[in-house]
Amino acid sequence: MRGALLIAKKEFLELSKDRKTMFFAFVLPFLIYPAIFGMIARMEKRDEAKNRNKASRIYLTDPSDVLAPALKAQPLLFELVPRPEGSLDQAIRDQKLELALEVAPSAAAALQKQETFTLAATMDESERASGVALKRLKDTLKEQEKSWVQGRLHTLGASPQLAEPLNLEVRNAADASLQMGKIAGRLLPYLLMIMMYAGSMQHGIYATAGEKERQTLLSLMATRLPRNQIILGKLIYIFSIGVISALLNLLSMALSIPFIGGGSHSSMQAVAALANPLTLGLTFLIMVPLGLFFANFILLMGIQARNTIEAGSAIAPGIFLVMFLGMFTMAPGVDKMSFLSYVPVVNVCLALRKLFSQQPNWGEYAIAFAMTVGLATLMTWISTRILNREKALFKA
Amino acid sequence: MIQLSEVHKSFTVKDRKTRLTKRIDAVRGISLEVRPGEIYGLLGPNGAGKSTTLRMIAGLMEPDTGTIHVCGHETRQRPEAVRGCLGYLSTDMGVYARFTPRELLRIFGEFQDVEPKVAERRGMHLLDKLQLADFADVRMEGFSSGQKQKVSIARALLHDPKVVIFDEPTTGLDVLTAKTVLDLLRIMREEGRTVIVSTHVMPMVEDICDRVGIIFDGKLHGDAPPRDLLQSRRAKNLDEVFFQLAAESEENH
Repeated sequence: MRGALLIAKKEFLELSKDRKTMFFAFVLPFLIYPAIFGMIARMEKRDEAKNRNKASRIYLTDPSDVLAPALKAQPLLFELVPRPEGSLDQAIRDQKLELALEVAPSAAAALQKQETFTLAATMDESERASGVALKRLKDTLKEQEKSWVQGRLHTLGASPQLAEPLNLEVRNAADASLQMGKIAGRLLPYLLMIMMYAGSMQHGIYATAGEKERQTLLSLMATRLPRNQIILGKLIYIFSIGVISALLNLLSMALSIPFIGGGSHSSMQAVAALANPLTLGLTFLIMVPLGLFFANFILLMGIQARNTIEAGSAIAPGIFLVMFLGMFTMAPGVDKMSFLSYVPVVNVCLALRKLFSQQPNWGEYAIAFAMTVGLATLMTWISTRILNREKALFKA
Repeated sequence: MIQLSEVHKSFTVKDRKTRLTKRIDAVRGISLEVRPGEIYGLLGPNGAGKSTTLRMIAGLMEPDTGTIHVCGHETRQRPEAVRGCLGYLSTDMGVYARFTPRELLRIFGEFQDVEPKVAERRGMHLLDKLQLADFADVRMEGFSSGQKQKVSIARALLHDPKVVIFDEPTTGLDVLTAKTVLDLLRIMREEGRTVIVSTHVMPMVEDICDRVGIIFDGKLHGDAPPRDLLQSRRAKNLDEVFFQLAAESEENH
């Protein structure tokens, strides 16, 4: 084992000599996530404030003047605009107005006869401002409808309360930490896997096919270190760099969460949810065999390749597989399919998803852990056997 | 001491055109012995089997049949012990360009189980001998091929090996650097080390080698002191011997 650790030490020393790579791998995540998260939060806030303070522009067709007074009464929320040139749909798509409303010409008569009239609204669902305008309209109409119904009940001599049989009071049982945990539960396993794979990919290629390309592998093999120790040392390096890279990225993300919430109490609660020692410990525990599995794959492909391009071509598609599996586990309802706990890699994602959602399933976690350990051990055995062969190392 | 007895090595290659695999005999029954205090020159054209033979002696490759003993260890059974007593240098060996020579030698000292202080002292002594001491703390990224070759030589000799294998040690070197390497080889002979050198530079072989073996088509020819070889072949120089053997090899085909 001493030889393997010496090789791993050599790899880390070599990495430490490359300041640019060190910066990109270890420093950049601590700059980029706060910057991205902060920028997103700022833009969201700006957009929200802009929509909140700006009256929604509405083109209203209301021949019997049924709705216009209610909208005109709220100038801070609605601005009635004249008909724009061209089609209304195009004007909405061009963001010249947020909503076009068409009240049936017979609306006043229908109201008088205590009948129903139609109000047609045209909006752009892809635009947030249009959605805000519709919500404002619905809130305004709700009050207007209530007053019309109450008027009708009054005419009939019935209690106005008949219009309001129930008063719905909604309370959120989930606090910020649970909400954040559920979002994190979906996202984190996916991100973890990608970061771990991507983090070790480039370094793995450099330490394997790169050594062949730079013609330095032979000098290692000419030392008294046993060949399997050299392979094991490279495995330790690739695995460690993957785990370190994933952990640093996650840490940076966690530290950047307050940038989204502006340091509010709820955002700090969310950080606390992610920073739960048990959750983090169990996440790390299951990441170890998963990282080892990835590292074995990268090592196996990398050291058999003739050069870095060939290694890259063999290793890079793996990231798409990892992305696909990760995205699959983010889909709603997937966490209810218990048979997936027997599918490698997917089971790790699902176990972590439940862990972060504060709904851990210990049985599924144990199965995922045991399977991943078994798989990683098998892969380590296979790769050391294959790579011990002369042919794999002298392929040129 | 190096002893090779009836060593065979073949490789399987795939013909891209016919899609058929075929077996190539790289080394065919080579037997030779190199004694301590002797420089043995291994000659041969490209692809003759020199590097494969040297790699097998260094325990980097295993012979299919036959045995190789280095420092009393059989290469198949104790490859690590063989590599521990042997310094191997090949032209297709690079250096870790991100390191300085001092750092590289420290790391390889650890790999070869040499005490850090001893590795430092011996490493600096070797760099000094190779006229590279002034560059001991300079990153090797900008080194010339000669400077890199010198660092590789220091790396190969760091653990004070009893057996030294240099595969084309002067390829790509200028005259001055090549002379430094040749002087070093002579010193190693005086120190009683067993040295095998593979090269294409015939005057160098005549100059420093005690015995010469020429490999053609995986077979060893000659295996005698250069002067004896010239006399037996009635040749003026080793180049002539080389051409004679090449012609014989063509006829046999």
